[in-house]
Amino acid sequence: MGRALWRRLRELLNPRQLDRDSIDEMTHHVEMVVARKLGEGLDDLEARRQARLEVGSVESAREHVAEERTGFALDQRMRELAYAVRVLRRSPGLTLLSIATMAVGIGVSGILFALVNGIVLQPLPYPEPEQLVRIFDVNRQSGIERTGAASGNVAAWRQRAAAFEGIAGYYSMGRTVSLADGAEAVITAQVSRDFFDLLRVPPMLGRTFTPEETERADFNSAAAPTGPDPVVILSHGFWVGRFGADPNAIGQTVMLERRPFKVVGVMPAGFTAPERGVALWIPWHLSIESPRDQHYLGAIARVAPGISLAQASEQLGAVAGDLGGLYPDTNAGWGVELSPLAVETVGGAAAVLWVLLAAVGLVLLVACANVALLTLMRGLDRQDEVAVRIALGASSRRLIREFLLESVVLSLAGGALGAVITIAGLRWLPAITTDLPRMNEVALDVRSVLFIAAVTILTALLSGLPQAWRRTRITAITGLTSATLRTTGGRGTHRLRDAIVIAQVALAVILMAGSGLLVRSFLELRSTAPGFDPRGVLVAPIFLDNLQYNSGEKTRTYYRTLFERLAAIPGVTSVGGATTVPTSPLGPDFERPVWPCERASDGAARLQAAVRMITPGYIETLGLQLVEGRAIDTRDSPKAPPVLMISRTLAASLWPGQSAVGKQLVVDYSTAGTYPYEVVGVIGDLRFRGPRSEPLSEIYLPHAQRSYLILNVVVKAGGDPRRLIPSVREAMRTVDAQVPAQGMYALEDLLGATYARDRQAMLTLLMFAGAAILLAVLSIYGVLSQRVRERSREIAVRIALGADTSAVIGWVARSGLRLIAAGVAAGLAIAWVASGALEAMLFGVTPTDPPTVIAVVIGVTVIGLIAILAPSWRATRIDPVEILRR
Amino acid sequence: MAIEKLDLLVLKALALAPLHGYGVGQRIEQMSGGVFRITLGALYPALQRLERSGLVKGSWSVSENNRRARYYALTAAGRRRLTTQQKAWERTAAAMLRVLHGEGH
Repeated sequence: MGRALWRRLRELLNPRQLDRDSIDEMTHHVEMVVARKLGEGLDDLEARRQARLEVGSVESAREHVAEERTGFALDQRMRELAYAVRVLRRSPGLTLLSIATMAVGIGVSGILFALVNGIVLQPLPYPEPEQLVRIFDVNRQSGIERTGAASGNVAAWRQRAAAFEGIAGYYSMGRTVSLADGAEAVITAQVSRDFFDLLRVPPMLGRTFTPEETERADFNSAAAPTGPDPVVILSHGFWVGRFGADPNAIGQTVMLERRPFKVVGVMPAGFTAPERGVALWIPWHLSIESPRDQHYLGAIARVAPGISLAQASEQLGAVAGDLGGLYPDTNAGWGVELSPLAVETVGGAAAVLWVLLAAVGLVLLVACANVALLTLMRGLDRQDEVAVRIALGASSRRLIREFLLESVVLSLAGGALGAVITIAGLRWLPAITTDLPRMNEVALDVRSVLFIAAVTILTALLSGLPQAWRRTRITAITGLTSATLRTTGGRGTHRLRDAIVIAQVALAVILMAGSGLLVRSFLELRSTAPGFDPRGVLVAPIFLDNLQYNSGEKTRTYYRTLFERLAAIPGVTSVGGATTVPTSPLGPDFERPVWPCERASDGAARLQAAVRMITPGYIETLGLQLVEGRAIDTRDSPKAPPVLMISRTLAASLWPGQSAVGKQLVVDYSTAGTYPYEVVGVIGDLRFRGPRSEPLSEIYLPHAQRSYLILNVVVKAGGDPRRLIPSVREAMRTVDAQVPAQGMYALEDLLGATYARDRQAMLTLLMFAGAAILLAVLSIYGVLSQRVRERSREIAVRIALGADTSAVIGWVARSGLRLIAAGVAAGLAIAWVASGALEAMLFGVTPTDPPTVIAVVIGVTVIGLIAILAPSWRATRIDPVEILRR
Repeated sequence: MAIEKLDLLVLKALALAPLHGYGVGQRIEQMSGGVFRITLGALYPALQRLERSGLVKGSWSVSENNRRARYYALTAAGRRRLTTQQKAWERTAAAMLRVLHGEGH
């Protein structure tokens, strides 16, 4: 019994030794039979033939013995696996290269799939998310597409439109929270009734706002929360950070804008609607009497069950039409636009992510092709061995299995490593991407894991099939003949190999064309003059609270004092401020109706203009162009006659062909007064939201005449403006330590951030294209090298017959160039068809940009030539005497 | 059934003296009057199976042509198994014969 167990263990642990032993035994058996035959007087050859007939071949018997072994099925798979591993270990460099290629390909596709899955495919993290929509005000008559909703309108819609379960308005902005040791600016969202209910997210602690709490939360203006007994809801992050996750936080107070707000609820982790980074929510009462002409609210709604988006749009459109009839002054011409919340949340990121996922798919294909070629070529090098094994009775099914197993082993190793890369990448990605929505929802979920598994299997099949296909065509005869003749391969293999290389070049060309377009587009974005000079400018957003700074005079004094201190910082050349600075995300951005004084009765002359309050020095600091007239300066004091500057776009629409300076422009400031201002200057057009944005109709009011608590202070100095940050912070502290210093930015960075996504997409695609072309070049090199090796006799004959170096080089180079040319042609054709997918991401470039095409062709050819050179050179070094003697 | 028959033949071949694989094949052929010719692909799996079951014991030795060869010997368990199997087989064979010759009805 002990022996039997021992035997079993040996079979498990050392099958190879047993295998050798049984071969030895059986060989002995055959020898004995042969010896007997020889004794019967047969010659050696005939004796061996008869022996074989009598007892069969050792090779096939060996398989029977192995099959018999314990756990036969498993054992055989293990043997084949072990064989595959052994074969792979014979060329460790190529094997590692293949595994690394696959790992990176699978890993990066995993990352991109997880992104697409989490950001685009997964529904929003709210119950029945498909019912959620965003609502925008539009005024097609005045050419206004999609602007914010007016608060009075949101209240009116809520009352009148039955197609919705709820409609809520919100507005988020930075506010000041007082702390024991100073103050901090946080993003707060003021939200109207229904906000939490329609999202259907219950609080983690406490409750959401009651209708009464909302009712009494009146606001004189968006910047100044008023009303008795104010209440606040905390985000999970704020609760953890500022309350130490205190379960008894409910009922405590938060000093917001130096006023105590009672905590009534804490939202669950991950909930920051309506935008990333919201720390606090405060209630906001909207009534039909709220302004209907200030379009700055965000509006979301939940469509009632069973009602389609189109039906809801139609009904709300009719309501908007009614409002236009009821309140022609404010609502004539205004309609609505509805869009699924999911679409609005993800925005342009979806297109970019899909393109990148497709691109990494192409890279993966190239990688598969590489591994397939490597396997194929390894197979060719082993053709002798294979032919012998076939002759000895190894079944062709088994051989195919073996070859497939090679690529399965490679792919599994690559897939495992790839999964590691995906996990690491997803962990690291949030640190480097700032412009992707829903990043907190991206995770390696079941779907992503299945994707990685599927990709791994697909990779194994794609990279193994060409080889397996070749194997089915090998017979002992062709194998052995070609082995003796030393011209391996055969036409079929050559064609297969060439096709794979051409496909690789084509895929690389597609990726290069795509990334080329993005590069061109990015350069175009960067070279587009934004209309301001961001160099050396630091942007410091400052939010004053309305309790301490409850009068225009106090606000003006604060900023005047601060500007004096800032101007005294060594190296600072100018200082200014504006409520909203180009490309800065912080600060109020709203529009007011304006019209020329002389056309007050003409409804068509009313335009919406974006309002900025600016201080003296702002125009110089930002390097804005003064087209006409003068800049706002110290003359424009609170007591001086009201003046403003306007953008060239507005001037051109209001007074085409005339000088705007000296004209009177009425600004409808609603409760704060509607009266004419004198236009003193015209500012050159600027692209306020970055190079992709169009110049706007804008008015610039003197901050002194209409002071505002929020100001983006801009400071210009030579060199990197970020080094000014400590001095600016210090200056702020000396003026009022209770005013929080916010994140400060170099204006250049803010401008860059407007096309950060373009930059990231471009760099990623460039990387993919680089990887693809590198792999394709390796293949060209490999295939040509092998071709030279195979044809060495032919080349030797040619050299012996007098072919000179250039003829030999020409022969190799031509076959290489043919592959490249075919690949480039195929790639360009596909790229030409597919380039439409990139259209949405391009700026200032057409998808069929000729310079890009030319650059790609030249680039691929030059890189390809490098791959051709080495094998060509090796061909000329062939020594005919040595080769032909073999 | 077929496998069991071969196992029995091998055990029987080894009943007299230890033999190497070729010897087992020769002995079976000889005992069967040349009817049973065993190929490598049948014999060696059977030997392996019997050895694993502890019915035979293999050991390396030197053969008559001065070469390393593996000799198989019956173990005590193998001998017992041979006896029981032989009896069972004899019963079966006798029954088969009776059926085929139409006896005993």
